[in-house]
Amino acid sequence: MNVTYLEAIRRAQEKALADDPRVFIYGQDVGAFGGAFKATKGLAEKFPGRVLDATLSEDAIVGIAIGAAIEGARPIVEMQFADFSTCGLNQIVNQAATLYYRTGVSCPIVVRLPSGGTAGGGPFHSQSMEALYAHYPGTIVLTPATVEDAYSMLLAAVEIEDPVLFCEHKFLYNHLKADALPTDALPIGKARIARPGRDATIVTYSAMLHESLAAAKELAGDGFEVEVVDLRSVKPLDTDTVLASVARTGRLLCVSEAWPWGGVCAEVVARVTAEGFGLLDAPPQRLNAKDTPIPYHPALWGTHRPTATAIADATRRLLEI
Amino acid sequence: MSEAVKTRSAPVQGEGRELVRAYRIMLLARVLEEKLAALYRAGRIKGGVFLGRGQEALSVSVGIHLRKGDIFAPLIRDQAGRMAFGDTVLDTLRTYLGSALGSMRGRDGNIHRGRPREGYYAMISHLGAMLPLVAGGLLARRFRGESGVVGATCIGDGGTSTGAFHEGLNAAAVEKLPLVVVVANNQFAYSTPTSRQYACADLVDRAAGYGVAGHKVDGTDFLECMRVVGGAIAAARSGNGPQLIVADLLRLVGHGEHDDAKYVSEELKTSHLGRDCLVVAGEQLLEAGVVTAEELKVWRDEAQEEVDDTAARVMREPEPDPADEEWRAISSEFLEDFRG
Amino acid sequence: MPLVPIIMPQLGEAIAEATIVRIIVPTGSPVEADADILEVETNKAVMGVTATCTGTITEIVAEVDKSYPVGATLGYIEVDEAEAKRLGISTEPKPVPVKEPKKTAAASTKVEPTVTGLPVPAHAGGASFLSPRMKARMAELGMHAADLAGVAGSGAGGRVTIDDLERFLEDIERNRITPASSMRVAVADAMRRSWTRPLATVVLPIALDKMLVHRKAQPVKPGPALYSLRALAIALGENSAPAGRLIGEKIVHPRSVDIGFAVEAEDGVLVPVIRNADQVRLADLVERYNHLVSLARQRRLPLRDTGGSIATVTNYGTFGLTLATPIPLPEQTLLLGMGAGEIVPRWDPEQKKFVPVTEAAFTLSFDHRVLDGGAAGRLLNRVAELLNAPEQL
Repeated sequence: MNVTYLEAIRRAQEKALADDPRVFIYGQDVGAFGGAFKATKGLAEKFPGRVLDATLSEDAIVGIAIGAAIEGARPIVEMQFADFSTCGLNQIVNQAATLYYRTGVSCPIVVRLPSGGTAGGGPFHSQSMEALYAHYPGTIVLTPATVEDAYSMLLAAVEIEDPVLFCEHKFLYNHLKADALPTDALPIGKARIARPGRDATIVTYSAMLHESLAAAKELAGDGFEVEVVDLRSVKPLDTDTVLASVARTGRLLCVSEAWPWGGVCAEVVARVTAEGFGLLDAPPQRLNAKDTPIPYHPALWGTHRPTATAIADATRRLLEI
Repeated sequence: MSEAVKTRSAPVQGEGRELVRAYRIMLLARVLEEKLAALYRAGRIKGGVFLGRGQEALSVSVGIHLRKGDIFAPLIRDQAGRMAFGDTVLDTLRTYLGSALGSMRGRDGNIHRGRPREGYYAMISHLGAMLPLVAGGLLARRFRGESGVVGATCIGDGGTSTGAFHEGLNAAAVEKLPLVVVVANNQFAYSTPTSRQYACADLVDRAAGYGVAGHKVDGTDFLECMRVVGGAIAAARSGNGPQLIVADLLRLVGHGEHDDAKYVSEELKTSHLGRDCLVVAGEQLLEAGVVTAEELKVWRDEAQEEVDDTAARVMREPEPDPADEEWRAISSEFLEDFRG
Repeated sequence: MPLVPIIMPQLGEAIAEATIVRIIVPTGSPVEADADILEVETNKAVMGVTATCTGTITEIVAEVDKSYPVGATLGYIEVDEAEAKRLGISTEPKPVPVKEPKKTAAASTKVEPTVTGLPVPAHAGGASFLSPRMKARMAELGMHAADLAGVAGSGAGGRVTIDDLERFLEDIERNRITPASSMRVAVADAMRRSWTRPLATVVLPIALDKMLVHRKAQPVKPGPALYSLRALAIALGENSAPAGRLIGEKIVHPRSVDIGFAVEAEDGVLVPVIRNADQVRLADLVERYNHLVSLARQRRLPLRDTGGSIATVTNYGTFGLTLATPIPLPEQTLLLGMGAGEIVPRWDPEQKKFVPVTEAAFTLSFDHRVLDGGAAGRLLNRVAELLNAPEQL
């Protein structure tokens, strides 16, 4: 069997619908059409009345999901692109994320955000929103990087009693394949050492994991053993695993496809500096996308975001400090 | 329904009995809000005070026609509707006075109170945002196979201009959900007059655009409010899809107690819209012969006593203590990120 | 004639591959530009793959029902040179650049960490730069930068890394190791702090005969160190500037002439202080001096009798030493030392012959930031003068 990241997401939703009658899927084109990326292909047919096409109204889509969650349902919302979730931002951050704190009633919704860049995606179909949502209290923000995590973390997300932003990476949808779906998984909130090493730590997540692993492989050719940590979830952020890795290597590079300002990398660097200053042999570094909108042309886009080459270069500089 | 309203062995039967119950809730809301205004001016209130004076007839008509198991998302001028749906003088005062024992535990205040598990949704300040929520609640009820459920939410003329209002009503119409949207056109969004808010002849004209039933009512007329709102809620309950009610009335107070509403003209205040719906309601009940003038006075005194006693009790209650506060925004303790 | 590859196009966002459904234009057939050649299916839709130019299909390498990744060569179109040139068509297969841009020198220098202008001097070599991690580990061990002096660094710029440190610690485990006493650690700390300054020493041999005669005549004999202390005190009472401390860009002058003197105690040195030593005559200091020496030796010196002095006197001559360059206390600018007295011949110009005199080397060690050699020499000469006029003490 050959399972793509996208198929894993589809299968996880299929299993959630089959296992839990409270689950329903709501989003634009998710019904008979099967979703813009086919993440819900065949589900409307298999689960009649539980996979609903939504109006072109991101605010209403999220609001309806929240109302349904209050009444005991477990909605999975598909945003057609993560970028469009800004139109539903108010409901996510002011309604869903405040509900438990204000009223004591939790808000178990999952908002799937097809995130990140692909060639030709451009400024409005390429964004990575994890830092924005993680900024607000009351959210859980997941960023799976592997087929196995896409499946198991989405299933776990449906079980979580709080609002989950599920940042699935579009580039990985069809490029990433695994032999089979996982039968067990790390718990949510635990980072994973994707590659052990001793000379430097790269902390990353989502598609940048694969670029970072490629960079680590390249550096191994130069005799450097770089440890790569896959955060898996950016909120909660597994600070302990990051610190343990930095304790082994003394050097940190944090890599993200998102913009630099106030981002996940900034948070990781802040925590390592605050809690693990005495572990550092060099000032912690971060590598983000450039601080511009995401360009349309593949040639520009390929340089806008960090690549394996850029990560390897940044790591080399870090090792020289 | 409200524990605040004591049952009396009044010689009123059938519909008249419901009108009396509605009237007594309006009266209690009015007395309670007068108390809140007084406490505000005494510096006892935590935060702001936003009153519904002049909107009690419309508001109570919504709350009183909802049943246990329905959904109600009131807005800021719905003290009467809230109490008709089950909110109490005690919980209201606890929230305004910042008691730790209120339903919001000091985490949110005044009109933001609610008990979502009981179908009483807690509004956020972003207008229009409650429409999709009620629609979603109703969708979940439909999934569960429940029928005969209604969800109602209130909004003002200003709130109809938001994107969320449009998105929510449109989506509810597409799903043919039993959503009742009650627009209190009180002529001002804070200080902005309706001429700067919409360009259509009447807000109720929009119903056709959404493909939902539209209802127009004189918001100062108690009996009309009870009839029209009751009818719209019944229509939604029996499967006729969303209902849009637009009531014309005048906010008889400022936007909040901090606002003297100088921008409201004398002409408007003395117009038909400026009538006090509570006075109108009393007259209508007297005219119908279901109450006596003596009863109206006794009920006001009883309401005053209940409000005064409850306020005194709440003022003795403890404030929330930051040292005891959980400081956790998610229910999944094991997924907490920052601790402390 | 050039062959133009037929490439699997990017048929939608996030599409990695597509399956061949049908071949529309078979091998050997002519094809017009923009006409469909193949039909492929993605998980989103069925679409045609079109010819980029007019020519003849020479080969379709793709097979029906098989999947090919985006960018794969599905076949070739033979075109004439003119057509290829007109369209600027590459005859090399060139996949859509979905992953990495070409690595060029320019590209690799352009992509930089967001944080530039590193706060660490990358050129700081050897033990002169300690990373936070090194500092934390050393603090744990009670170590100081000086302890790394003998460790060769293997890190960037010859820096001592944590691995170097651990190897060094492992290595010293093979030596005999005893714990340092708290007195030893305290002295070490004081000396290390003092050594952060540029220190220098001037030397002057001083004849002691007059002092020894004077001493013999006293009912209770003052020690030679007390003579020196009193002489230094008078000299500084006349001009306290040489005892000033440089703090930032200011000279901080002494408030009173309090002079300490070194007393050897078990595994260390204590420094009792005589307050206002410029204002008390030698004869009146003897008892106090002797009492303080005794307290110090028992290590029972009260707090009020130590610290706050502006200079110290040490008599290393008691160890038989003739010359030393001791280190002043960290908070002092001056240290007056005296060596062992020796009888030496000195040329007497009056008698025109060598006469025996008892002479000792006096040293003044000082903070060279505050004093120059001249000022130090003048102070030491004044001390010599006073010692040769003991009745003034």
